[in-house]
Amino acid sequence: MKRITKDIYLPSMAEIVEIINMTANIKLFKIKPRRLFPYKPGEFIMLSLWGKGEVPISITSTYGFHTYIELCIKRVGYITSAIHMLSPSDEIGIRGPFGNSFPIEKAKGKDIIFVTGGLGIAPLRPLIHSVMNNKKQFKKVALVCGSCTPPEILFKDDINAWQKKRMQIILTCEKKSKDWDGNTGLVTEYLNTPKISFKDAFAFICGPPVMIALTMENLHGMGMNENHIFTSLEAHMKCGVGKCGHCYVDGKYICTEGPVFSYAEIKDRRLYKH
Amino acid sequence: MKNVLIIDKNYLPYWLRQLRKTMTLIAPLRAGNEDVILNVIENIHEIELNCPASIPSPKEFLFPQKEDMFKFSAGTTDVLKDDTRRLIFGVRSCDISAIALLDRFFGEHFTDDYYMSRRKNSIFISMVCNDPDPTCFCLGLGTGPSLKSTFDIQLTDLGDRYMVETASKQGATLIKRHIYLFAQPKKSDYEDQYEILLSAQAKFEKRINLESARQKILGERISDRFWDWMSKKCFECGGCVYACPLCTCFNVLDNVESENHGTRLRVWDTCMFKGFTRMAGNIWPSEKKGTRIKQWYFHKLIYYPEHFGKFGCVGCGRCTITCPGHIDMATIAHKIDIGDRRSR
Repeated sequence: MKRITKDIYLPSMAEIVEIINMTANIKLFKIKPRRLFPYKPGEFIMLSLWGKGEVPISITSTYGFHTYIELCIKRVGYITSAIHMLSPSDEIGIRGPFGNSFPIEKAKGKDIIFVTGGLGIAPLRPLIHSVMNNKKQFKKVALVCGSCTPPEILFKDDINAWQKKRMQIILTCEKKSKDWDGNTGLVTEYLNTPKISFKDAFAFICGPPVMIALTMENLHGMGMNENHIFTSLEAHMKCGVGKCGHCYVDGKYICTEGPVFSYAEIKDRRLYKH
Repeated sequence: MKNVLIIDKNYLPYWLRQLRKTMTLIAPLRAGNEDVILNVIENIHEIELNCPASIPSPKEFLFPQKEDMFKFSAGTTDVLKDDTRRLIFGVRSCDISAIALLDRFFGEHFTDDYYMSRRKNSIFISMVCNDPDPTCFCLGLGTGPSLKSTFDIQLTDLGDRYMVETASKQGATLIKRHIYLFAQPKKSDYEDQYEILLSAQAKFEKRINLESARQKILGERISDRFWDWMSKKCFECGGCVYACPLCTCFNVLDNVESENHGTRLRVWDTCMFKGFTRMAGNIWPSEKKGTRIKQWYFHKLIYYPEHFGKFGCVGCGRCTITCPGHIDMATIAHKIDIGDRRSR
């Protein structure tokens, strides 16, 4: 791993350019960093609000494809609530990007399945974009996307665009309602629906911890190679650089050795079994 | 590099007084309430070398309990870094061994400049333990009672004089400027030193075999029930973590002084606390007390050796003294080693 000696705890400033309401408690923030800020799919940043604190947030935009850094943030805790109070032209601090990224190079020439649950589509979106923008390098691509209710299906425009680029899309909501007559139930019930060859395919999964655990186990049970199933984990973090110890589980720092792990790396560990 | 000299005990205060002219002197000091702590020394005669090895570790001078990182005010930030030159005198071999490991931890991958800035400006004069405490078990770990290298300057008490060993460039400069105070060692000095080391080694009461405990854990002989049993005696006070010279977890907080003005600081944190891993949305990886205790012991007994090739314990025995529930490193490692699965 490379050695970095500049001040690793000092955030650089970025300006909020646009805020889009995605659902009742999820907003998409487009931010413009003051310095050059290259990043890869799967990496995260430490988002900093002076006087409030810092939170790790995964980047949901694709470098070189989107103009600004996009962050999809759900209002759940103290800092995310404070972030939701911000408005365009406000300044925030960012540090990073931190963590490893999705090993997309390995999946070239293979089928790919993405499985997302709720907000889990956010960290996978940059990866899906970079796959769909280079579709010729991959074989069949499928997305199984689960949400609670129809209004909570995130990034509908992107999903439509991907469908036009011949991606197999399976959307599911928790139950039938007057504005939803599609699939109902959990994503794990639809894992075998996509027409791909699972034996040789790559899977990228993100969602709530229970969903990640079940999906990884099921896909492995369907004959997928355990080294081809990847997920992105979350943890309480204070530094993002492997020092503060909060995300240290089972001998791994999720911030520096993760957040992307293969099923082989974590299946016997406590990392994702909360 | 290693260099051996002798200094008469009467010259030691003079030497320290000279050294103090260029840096802050920190040494064991008997505080008002009779506890001995490491503190800034005003009068050289107040230095209390006749104290247990388990006084609070010098970790706080490299990684303070509370450290200001930067000031922020309306979009501008000021990085605060401590560059006080410190001479830390009278610490023990176990602490020097711990610092050698901390250097690797804070220095690898992303370098922690706050620690490094303090470290760069600190010199240590350590003491060989002639009389280890009943709680000490550094002998089996090779982290004491005396060291062969990794120290700056090491003193061995030979009665009326000290043997002064130097193993670093920084240490050598402290001697070079005052070389007239030192004498060359005679054969009898080496003989005395050898005797003192032998007697010190014989005085150890605790013989803890961490390697054997590690092997038992790796052999999956310890179930999660063991940790749950142990956790019944845990008060979740965090004392073991705060006292440990190798525990480095911290929390980052913002101290707001007025609107848009304040300080970002870090404070020691402990994995023994319930909220340590709790995320917003109530996702809680280590909610159970047993899980947290297991994590602490696994970090020190399994993950440290995996990553650094050394145990995350230097046998200083501070957790043994601190823990009100008697579930400290020595006790737990011993229980694992002899196969004691009882909860009491």
